[in-house]
Amino acid sequence: MYSAEISRANPTCFVFLLDQSGSMQDQIGSGEGQRKCDVVADALNRLLFELGIKCAKEEGVRDYFYVSVIGYGINVAPALAGPLAGRELVPLSEIAASPARLETRSKKVPDGAGGLVDQEVKFPVWVDPVANGGTPMSGALNRAQSIVSTWLMDHPGCFPPVVLNLTDGESTDGDPSFPADSIRQLSSSDGPALLFNLHVSSDSSAAISFPDSEEALANQFARTLFNISSTLPDGMRTYTQQQGIPVSDGTRGFVFNADVTSIIQFLDIGTRASDLR
Amino acid sequence: MLANIASFSVPKRGSAQEECEDSTWVGPDGLGAGEFDINRLRIVVADGASESLLAGRWARRLTSTFGTGKSSTRAKPNFIATYNTAVDEWAKEMDEYEVEREERGSPIQWYEEPGLAKGAHSTVVVVEIFDGKQGIPPFWRAAAIGDSCVFQVRNEELVASFPIQEEEAFSFSPSLLSSRGGENDVIRRHIGLTGGAWDHEDSFYIVTDALAAWFLRIARNGGHPWEPLRDMNTVDFDLDFESWVNAQRDAGDMHDDDTTLVRVDLY
Repeated sequence: MYSAEISRANPTCFVFLLDQSGSMQDQIGSGEGQRKCDVVADALNRLLFELGIKCAKEEGVRDYFYVSVIGYGINVAPALAGPLAGRELVPLSEIAASPARLETRSKKVPDGAGGLVDQEVKFPVWVDPVANGGTPMSGALNRAQSIVSTWLMDHPGCFPPVVLNLTDGESTDGDPSFPADSIRQLSSSDGPALLFNLHVSSDSSAAISFPDSEEALANQFARTLFNISSTLPDGMRTYTQQQGIPVSDGTRGFVFNADVTSIIQFLDIGTRASDLR
Repeated sequence: MLANIASFSVPKRGSAQEECEDSTWVGPDGLGAGEFDINRLRIVVADGASESLLAGRWARRLTSTFGTGKSSTRAKPNFIATYNTAVDEWAKEMDEYEVEREERGSPIQWYEEPGLAKGAHSTVVVVEIFDGKQGIPPFWRAAAIGDSCVFQVRNEELVASFPIQEEEAFSFSPSLLSSRGGENDVIRRHIGLTGGAWDHEDSFYIVTDALAAWFLRIARNGGHPWEPLRDMNTVDFDLDFESWVNAQRDAGDMHDDDTTLVRVDLY
């Protein structure tokens, strides 16, 4: 299981669910005055940025992935901004070619003499922060279930699709456990679909990445999201461990007030590029 | 010595042949397949990393530089010197590449910038085969970084497997040569060197990782993986290389990856 090659001939899909409810206007507990809607929009833009770089080849990004970004707040609907607005499932090459805009950001890079220096880098933006309406998380999970189900009919041998839900956890349309179960029960010949959750919370307790138990989690919302998250497959657990995070058979794809970008590194598209050490 | 050489390469599914990021160089002068009556032979195979930008181009740079440079299989400093030459040549090639992209109205995009800054990465295996002379029996040497392999077969037995001996040793993170260069001491630790004697009618198979892993699994299970490879492209075998590789992929016996084979039969 979870060993199918991801290629243009056998792509997989990535569904991002973006909480855009009114409560996302509140500040995150562990941040420096950041609003939760800013945190999740930035996280999503970074995820798409990393995915594009991972699949970039000479003069183009390869369609190893098809990407869906669904927002939920006032309604449940595609959330990409700019030229891709309204599109539900988009090949990664189009995602890379059509961000809403390109911003210039400053990044610290080694100066070659032991210090750091600011370097300007282009940073594409596909989604903007939104905070409005309720939190129809169950509706969003049902939408993801529909997208993944349709995808699997056309790609029965693919690496299992991944659904990542970025939220503050307070569902207003019922218990998300049932639609979450229905996602995890979908399967390709390579294994069940994966559901991961990023919980951004106003709670100021410590950030937690990929826990194997709900004991240390701050509140009921976090525990619910932990419990609906998939257990990490072996390969992903290995990568998590390589990042210095203790793992066990029960480690789940759940992150609380922490960086979730590392999940892009969970996905193998071939030989990884790293310098000799 | 008389060497009969055949070379095959097929990209991963969904990729065009020109997108294949494996590269080969077959000596004495890079002419490739054919029958050679020579006293020394050099074969270089490199496998560009999938997650690396311009990996195929870097693999071609490595095979060209290791193919045409001085012998790099005698000792690690020789190997490092050739690698550093490739890094210098690459820097010039990249300057020209960026200018060329600008000139034809296709400037570097945001998704290419991090990869270009990180550099391209590739494995490499260099095999040199020498005829006997002045009382020295025929011998071969090889140097490698990464998981591209050479297998020596004699009388229906696998007598050498380098640099990997077990299928379990293959992973998504082999040692790789970076186009940005590296510290000599670090590189030295990763270079593998080997060598030995060869007999007339020995065969060498120089392959990239997907085929190497398949080869070692069949051999470990008591099979003769060289049999289909030996007959490839002959009247004794019905399938061409691409069809045969696809059959192994369909059976789940071989990873869907760029796949290269250089076969050397010695007489």
